[in-house]
Order: sequence, then C-alpha cells, then structure tokens
Amino acid sequence: MRARRVFDRSFTGLSLISVVLVGGALGVLLVPIVRRGLGAFVFRATVEHRRMLWEQFGRGDAEELKRELAEVEQARAPLYGMLAEFEEWLEGRPYGERRRYAAALAEFKQALRKLLGPLPGEPRPVLPRERYGQTRWDRAREALHAVLYVERYDYSDPTQMGRLSYVPRAEEFRATPLAPAFACLESNAARMLQPRWTIYWRFLFDRPVDAYVFGGIWPAVLGTLYLTIGAVLFAVPMGVISAIYLVEYAGDNWLVGLLRTCISTLAGVPSIVFGLFGLAFFVNTLGIPKSVLAGSLTLGVLILPVVIRAAEEALRAVPSTYKEAALSLGSSKWSAIVRVILPAALPGILTGVVISMGRAAGETAPIIFTAAVSAGPALHLWQTFGQPTPALPWGVYNLCTEHEAVDEIRHVQYGMVLTLVALVLLLNGAAIIMRARIARRLAG
Amino acid sequence: MSVSDSTPVRRVPAGRSLPLGRRARPLRRLGALAGHAGLLALTASSALAVLFIFFFIARDALPFFRLRGLRELFTGLEWYPSADPPAFGALPIFVGSGLVTLGAILVAVPLGISAAVCLSDILPFRLRQVVKPIVEVLAAIPSVAFGFFALVVFAPLLQKHGGWILAIAWWCVATPPLGVAAFVFGDAIGGRFRSERAQGRARLAATLLLAAGALVVLVLIGLRLRGIQVDSGTNALNVSIILGFMALPTVVSVSEDALQAVGRELRAGAYALGSTRAETLIRVVIPAAASGLCAAVILGVMRAVGETMVVWMASGNAAQIPQPWYNVLEPVRTLTATIAGEMGEADQVTGSARYHVLFALALALLAIAFVCNFVSERVIARSVAKYR
Repeated sequence: MRARRVFDRSFTGLSLISVVLVGGALGVLLVPIVRRGLGAFVFRATVEHRRMLWEQFGRGDAEELKRELAEVEQARAPLYGMLAEFEEWLEGRPYGERRRYAAALAEFKQALRKLLGPLPGEPRPVLPRERYGQTRWDRAREALHAVLYVERYDYSDPTQMGRLSYVPRAEEFRATPLAPAFACLESNAARMLQPRWTIYWRFLFDRPVDAYVFGGIWPAVLGTLYLTIGAVLFAVPMGVISAIYLVEYAGDNWLVGLLRTCISTLAGVPSIVFGLFGLAFFVNTLGIPKSVLAGSLTLGVLILPVVIRAAEEALRAVPSTYKEAALSLGSSKWSAIVRVILPAALPGILTGVVISMGRAAGETAPIIFTAAVSAGPALHLWQTFGQPTPALPWGVYNLCTEHEAVDEIRHVQYGMVLTLVALVLLLNGAAIIMRARIARRLAG
Repeated sequence: MSVSDSTPVRRVPAGRSLPLGRRARPLRRLGALAGHAGLLALTASSALAVLFIFFFIARDALPFFRLRGLRELFTGLEWYPSADPPAFGALPIFVGSGLVTLGAILVAVPLGISAAVCLSDILPFRLRQVVKPIVEVLAAIPSVAFGFFALVVFAPLLQKHGGWILAIAWWCVATPPLGVAAFVFGDAIGGRFRSERAQGRARLAATLLLAAGALVVLVLIGLRLRGIQVDSGTNALNVSIILGFMALPTVVSVSEDALQAVGRELRAGAYALGSTRAETLIRVVIPAAASGLCAAVILGVMRAVGETMVVWMASGNAAQIPQPWYNVLEPVRTLTATIAGEMGEADQVTGSARYHVLFALALALLAIAFVCNFVSERVIARSVAKYR
C-alpha cells in the first residue's frame, strides 16, 4: 500500500517536472533573445554612432556633435602623434628593421582603424562601415582588446588543438616611439569614444546602412507587415466564406467529407512545399514576378486552413437560437447569416485571423523563393505588386548565416529576432485575451 | 441542394407582406441557388488548393523521374547535383530526415504526453489556465527564431561543453524514473516475505541495493557521456532537441484532447475500484486514449519532418549517412533543408534535372505528409467513434 502511494506521488511529481521543463524550455529560448535583443535598442553609443547618425540620417545636435568631435580629436591627438613619430623614426632605420616592423605596423593600423575609424590624413573610404569606428561601446571594448593584444596559437602539443593565448601588442613595439601608445590608448579609450547610454528606438524605423552594419531594420519590418496583411486579405474572405458554407449549408455527403479531408490535409503540408508551390504556380506559371504579391498569395494559401478552422469553430459556437429567432422574424437564410450569425461570431473569427497573422508573419520557407531578398529599400505600396522585399524572418536567416560580418552584427540579428518574436507574440497574446473575453461572455 | 426549402420566403402565404414582390420570387430562388453554388465553388477552390499543390509539385517532379529514373534517387549514396556528371542519390538525405525526426520524437513524446497527462488530470483548473498559454506561445514562436537559437546560442554551447551537457541531460532525464523504479521494485520484492519484520528488512535491503545499482549505472553512463568530444555544434543532436521542443505543443494539445475524450465515467469507475490516480491513469485512461496518443505522435512526426529553418540553419547540411547511422553527433542534411538550400541555385537552370530533383524531394515530403495526415485522421475518427 505504501509503495502504491509513493508510486502515485512520484508519478505526479514526474508529470509536474515535465510541465516545468516545457516552461523552462520557453524561458531558455526567450531569455537570451529578449536580453540581447534589447541590446539593439538600448546600448552605450559612442561618438561614432552619433557621427554616423548625423552623416547618414541628418539627425542629432550639430553644435553638440561638433564640440564632442573636437574633444575626441583632442583625446586622440597624442595617440596619432605617437604613430606619426614612429613612422618617421622607422624611415630612418635600416632596411631589415623596416621590413620587420612593416607587417606588425599594418596589423596595428588595421586594428586601430577598426576601433576609431580612418586614421588622420587617410582618404574617406567608400564603404560606410570603414568610415566610422565602433559605434557601440561593447563592440568597441572588443576592438580595443584586439588593438592591445595579439592572438597567438600554441601548437607545441601535437595531440591537442592549438591553444589560444593573448600576447600584449606592446611587446612587438618595445623600445620604439610607439610603445607608450598602448598605455595611452588603454587609459583614454573612453575619452576617445565618449560612450553614453542611448535608447535607439529608431532601430525599428531606420533604413539599414551598408548591409545592416549600421542603422535599423525598417525595410524588413515593413516587408513583413506587407506580406502578413496581403496574406490575410487573401485568406480571410476565402476562409470565412468556406466556413460559412461548411457550417450553414453543407450537408453530410461524400463531397463535403472530401472537402473537409482536403482542408485538414492542406494544414499538414510542410511549409517548404508551399514555397515550391508558390514558385511553380504563382511565379513560373502565372508569371507574377518574385514580389510581395506572390509571397502574400503563397502565405495566404498556407494560413487558409487555420482561418477556415477558426471561423468554423466561431460560427458553430453561436447559439442556434439566434438563427432561429432571425428566421422566425422572416429574414432569409443569407441575411440571417450576414446580419445575425456573422456579427455574433465576429470576435471568434477575429481571434483566428490574428493567430493566422502571427503564423504568416513568422513563416520563412514559403517566402524564400516567392518574395524575399536579403537587402533592399523599403517598398512603397504600389511597388508591392512587382518587387521583392526584405522580410524579418528571411533577414534573420540571412544575417546569421550568409552575412560577411556575422560576428560584428550580432546585435542586429538579435534585434531582428526580438522584433519578429515580439510581433508574433503580441498577435498571439491579443488572440489569447480576446478568446478569454469571449469565453467569459459566453459563460456569463 | 434544396436551399429553397429552408428559406422561409416560400412558406409565407401569398398576399402577405413579402420582403420582395411576388415576381421576384423565382428570381430570388434562382439567386439563392446561384449563391449556394457560388459558395460551394469558393469552398471547393480553397479545399482543392491541396490537390492543386500536389498537381504542381508532381508536374515539376515527373521530368526528373523521366530523366533519371527512380532507383538512383532512393538508393544512391552520392548527392552531387551540380557536379559533372551529376549524382542524385538522396538516400543520405532521407536518412538524415529520419534521424532528426526520430530524435525529435524521442524528446517530444515522453515530455509531451506526460505534460498532457499533467494538464488534463493533475493540475488544478487555475494552474491549467496558466500553463496552456505557455504551450501556445511555444507553438507560436516562429521557426526561424528556433533556428537562430539553435545556431547562435545552442550550437557554440554544445561544441564547447558538449560532454557536460550530455551528462547533465542524462542525469536529469534518468534519475527520477530510475529512483522511482528502485523504490517500487524494492517494495515489491519486500512484499513477497511472510512475516512483517522480514518484510520490512527485505524491503529496505532490496531498495537500497537497487538504488545503489541505479546510482552506479547513472554515474558510469554519465561519465562516459562526459568524455564525449563534440566536433561541431551544428549536428543532428542539436536539431533533434530543438525540433523536439517545436513538436511539443502539437503533441501536448492533441494528446490532451485524447485524454479528455476518455471521459469521467471510466475514471470514476477506476477510482471506485480503489485505484490511485497514477494507477487510474496508467492502467485505464492512457490505454483508453491510446489511439489518440498515437495520432499525437504522428502529428508530431509530421511537424518535425516538415520543419525547414531549424534544420537548414543548424543541422550542418552534410549529405552523408552518419557512421554508425545513429551517431547524432555528426552533421546531417534533411529533405526540407536540401530544397531550401539548393533551389536558390537551381532556379536559374529551370528545366534541368537539378531543378526537377528538388520537386521530386518535395513530392516525397508531400507523400509523407499525406500518409501521416490520413493515418492520424483515421485513428482519431476511430477513437472518437469508440467513446461516443
């Protein structure tokens, strides 16, 4: 008996653990995305960030920026002075020594450019990413580390992988005019970059500069909005009408059975197959160019079963007394449906629509071949019929697998994921609240 | 299709105030009929979308079979679609899909079913209202976010501390069931003795012995797992775990429905016979809901097979059969990832075998989805019929 009781308890415990695990999994997934995603919006911005905003977007306080730049220049001057002094000193050294220092100097200058932007006297680079130093203080600290230390791999143990160690770069320039530069840089880095806490909410609404290295993600956000709304515009009328037919008109014959089976099968088709279908049908057969339109249609077919199912449920939940009352007052069946049943079912249908919007916004596979490009401007409404657009889900994939500076734009990737997840969860949260209100109304 | 029967207009005696004039009546009937036909047509078109999809995929898949035949695709081991001459052996890709799906099911099914049991029978109503949205949110998160997590967060972690992660996961998963098993079996062995004192001693001894054995097993296997070096974080294991959590909401909600469908009477009967809650659930409710749980597993399989972004981003995309086949620490490649990854390049060569082979893979995927859907529908229909 005791064993049975203990077994019962532990069984309960095990299943509780599983529920906790499910919740924990959600937490493990969301915590890094939210924490680091917020880092795209709130961070310590350096003077380079403010310079970039002024030059690329024309935003900021010109006077203030000018004053700040002068201050920064003053802070950087001794460092650049030492560099110039070193180069002058190197001119006078014998050829062998000059050669020995050349590679180390080039490497040092490259690392310094990465941290502070182009060195004085250099021509203005073509790529925006080379025009500015580090715009974020967290990235700047990493770049500073790269200036101060050299990566060395120790291969002395052949059975192990090479062991990484950091050697101070100052060692390479010992007893040269450049030697004090490192200490100067280390102690004055904050004055050279002027980090300041900033809320960059325009991350959502700025265009990206130089393939997302600077700026925001507006084209992708807008593209996702277009695609989602387009899909809903297509799927909701079709879905609601189908649901009305299935609930109010359809009898119980083989044809209706077949239709139902088809709809539930449609719900089970893998999303990548929808993508191929969109490519084969909308793009290659109908001749719609790869565009928001083609993507919306593909996504529309994808969310159709979701909409139909939700609308069906909502229509079925309307008490039959409503319909009977309307019919007994002499209204025709169609007007009873339009005037009485549909309004009563509307909140439920809207819930389904909102959920399907979340689904459409987050899907990647169907838009790869039909609508998405990795970089492009924000589209105007009339361009959506003929042009592909960047979109959030595709952008996330693209930035973290195919971008040439994957590690340097982690914050943009996280920001993008957070935006997408927040969008989808907002939609779903709205649906959950709406459903709870409907349930309360039906109960009370 | 007699809509007009149900329209009240006909039953209103002539001469009373009709919504429309008398002459309008036949017109109106015609309109109702046309409306019905229109509705049917629209419904049919949205339902037949699936046949449409099938048709268009098959249309572009057939040229491949005409060009290269069936055998190479399903039995060949070499996948070099862009080489000269190309090789289209997709067996490693099928194996890859199968392997990650199996892994995902191993994660999703035990966790999902026990969570569903908890939701339907154990948690009080209020807590259930909190837990259900959690599952819903898990279902709503876009697959690309899971893929991003797998690639950017989980893969480096797995590569760096793979052995420890495996060992800790093993301990977390295996400790509770082994502990319970040791206790229950110990008790059962003790129960065989006649006298009370002997029972008590035997019970204690057996339980301790079994617990010690379980501990040894736990530690030994854990230490072995700890020694494992993970060469690359983007592998079948990573994808399996993430896919398992993605399939979880499906498994939970379908199996919860199945458990709810069993009904009060069976449960009440079992309780009345003196069984505990665990016994009721294990001996009565779960067997009664078995077909529904089966459907849950099938739908979970479907979700895992059809998922694209996670596997594309984090499976390593190596078209090779792992050595040995169950080695989840090697990179694999799946059907969906192959289609997603290669269509971008094959798109420019529309009409070539390289383009059509991707449709052939999609056709295979579609076939799997259809079969899964069909089977699960049958199973659910049967279980519903049983409890009506």
